[in-house]
Amino acid sequence: MGEPTYLLSVPGYKPGKKALLVFFETDCPTCQLALPYLNSLDSNAVQVLGLSQDDETHTRAFVEQLNLKYPVNVDRGLKLTREFDPQSVPTMYLLDESGHVQSSLIGLDKAAMNTMAAALGQKTIAPLDDGTPAWKPGCGSRHLEPATQDGHSGAGDVSEESANGPLLRRIAEPASRITLRDDEDPFEYCIQKFGDALPVIPPTEAKVSAMVTASGLAAENVIARVPPVYGEATVEKIAANAVMAGCTPEMMRVLLPLVRAVCDENFNAHGVQATTHFAAPIIIINGPVRQELGFWCKQNVFSNVARANSTVGRALQLILLNLGGGRPDGIDMSALGNSAKFSCCIAENEEENPWEPFHVDRGLQRDQSALSLFAAEPPRGVSEHTAQKGAVVLKAVCQALATVWSYRICMNHEAIVVLCPEHAKTLARDGFTKQQVRQFLFENTGVPKRLYAEKDTGEGTQLVPYYREIMIQGEPCYQKFRSAESIHIVVTGGTAGKFSAVLGSWAVGPTGSQLVTYPISPK
Amino acid sequence: MPITLVHPGNEKVATAAAPPPRLSTLSGKKIGLLDISKPGGSHFLDRMEQLLRQTYGAADVVRVKKPTYTKNAPQAVIDQLRGMDAVIEGLAD
Repeated sequence: MGEPTYLLSVPGYKPGKKALLVFFETDCPTCQLALPYLNSLDSNAVQVLGLSQDDETHTRAFVEQLNLKYPVNVDRGLKLTREFDPQSVPTMYLLDESGHVQSSLIGLDKAAMNTMAAALGQKTIAPLDDGTPAWKPGCGSRHLEPATQDGHSGAGDVSEESANGPLLRRIAEPASRITLRDDEDPFEYCIQKFGDALPVIPPTEAKVSAMVTASGLAAENVIARVPPVYGEATVEKIAANAVMAGCTPEMMRVLLPLVRAVCDENFNAHGVQATTHFAAPIIIINGPVRQELGFWCKQNVFSNVARANSTVGRALQLILLNLGGGRPDGIDMSALGNSAKFSCCIAENEEENPWEPFHVDRGLQRDQSALSLFAAEPPRGVSEHTAQKGAVVLKAVCQALATVWSYRICMNHEAIVVLCPEHAKTLARDGFTKQQVRQFLFENTGVPKRLYAEKDTGEGTQLVPYYREIMIQGEPCYQKFRSAESIHIVVTGGTAGKFSAVLGSWAVGPTGSQLVTYPISPK
Repeated sequence: MPITLVHPGNEKVATAAAPPPRLSTLSGKKIGLLDISKPGGSHFLDRMEQLLRQTYGAADVVRVKKPTYTKNAPQAVIDQLRGMDAVIEGLAD
């Protein structure tokens, strides 16, 4: 049986060899997550061929932004798409040596991708714990989208019909221009209209244009929709907010994945931005981007010490205000708020970290730059200056961990433990691995049962039937966390001063906000 | 020379929907009660159901629950409330 003739029109297809045809759209968030994993497949085992359902410009930008290493071509006229008829993208077809479909994978399905890789004699290509979901459905295939009046696919069209149609558009109109009167002060104008109650840099056309150019993408590309009002974050709108925050153009490299991360449904900015709780997104930066762009990770890491940290954290907050609508005098209903809502961006002090850095825990390679987002309470300080042993340091941390959310709540909350370099050093000297630190904290953090008096209706007492009883230093306690994985470890800060910190979570898991980690493209 | 700025905000104008006409009576009406899944919400809605049935003569009271208070109601939850004469959404805390 010969190869299907239409395969001959697949650019780069080599007959007689196994092939993986990957149909995708450039604006599909699932495609953006799934396609980079295929870089790890050895081209000797299988030829990976990307087939874009979008135009050349968007396809090239997509390939460059995601750093795809395999051949990617536009499926002109959606010809191959119609032959294979995928219902959604991404859809991957594994073809045998004779060009016949052996199996197919739909959406992002890490387990299935790894099974396919194993069948091809390859290592795991999609780590299950790298911060992206194990499974995520994709978007409808372009050939099934409603056509516009001129008979073409509605994708990418900014006509009235597609703008009002059921599909979310990927290209928006340019941002409107605001021309100020000669007697208007641009600083006063911006602080009143778009600021965070502090002066901002006016987003002039020239400054915004430099930011857009640095992104390498078209100004009108929609990167995400920002909850809770789901304003479209185009490259240009992100750039305008970045200018206001004081960012330099090269920060666009961080801001685009940051906007995607904060709009990731697992992070659930919809809830984080509207809750009455303290929660605010904190950004954790890892990898070479720290040196490349000047992210600070030493003393005063939570403070106003470096332009990169301060302006990227501020840009995120301005985007959440101006595009997401989470204004602190409106939809954001936090009872007391959180000073992190001005800006909160820390970097890990990987050089003083005796263990693997945080983004490696999240499944990424050490030399991959990355950002993580966690919806956090304000930090609780932990001072321990006289302990000689690592275990004694950890017991001090346990006391702070026990008060996350509220002292008698022992449900499924999480926490980030920020260890200062001196504490980390003591722990490493005593032979603690990072996993042993997490396990120790898990096993030794609890709330004494004596604090739950009868007829007390305080928060947490009504949930006692769900709690797990343990003994800590001879005292019956309820265990604070559900697993060691609820506790995340970050090492950062100055090398002098034995001060660590605990940052509690908001609601977590699928019904709350989940820690997300996104890669940052190399320079 | 006038300064021109790039608009950094959301420019989509939200249009207000006109509220449906108010009910003149609850008697004989189908009322949906939406529990958003906050602790304590069911206490309030239990009492509402009792009042609607016993004091106001509602024909039916349909109880629906969101999986989580932190996110929008999924379509399946909204669909269960179609056909109601009125819906009461219960908060808590």
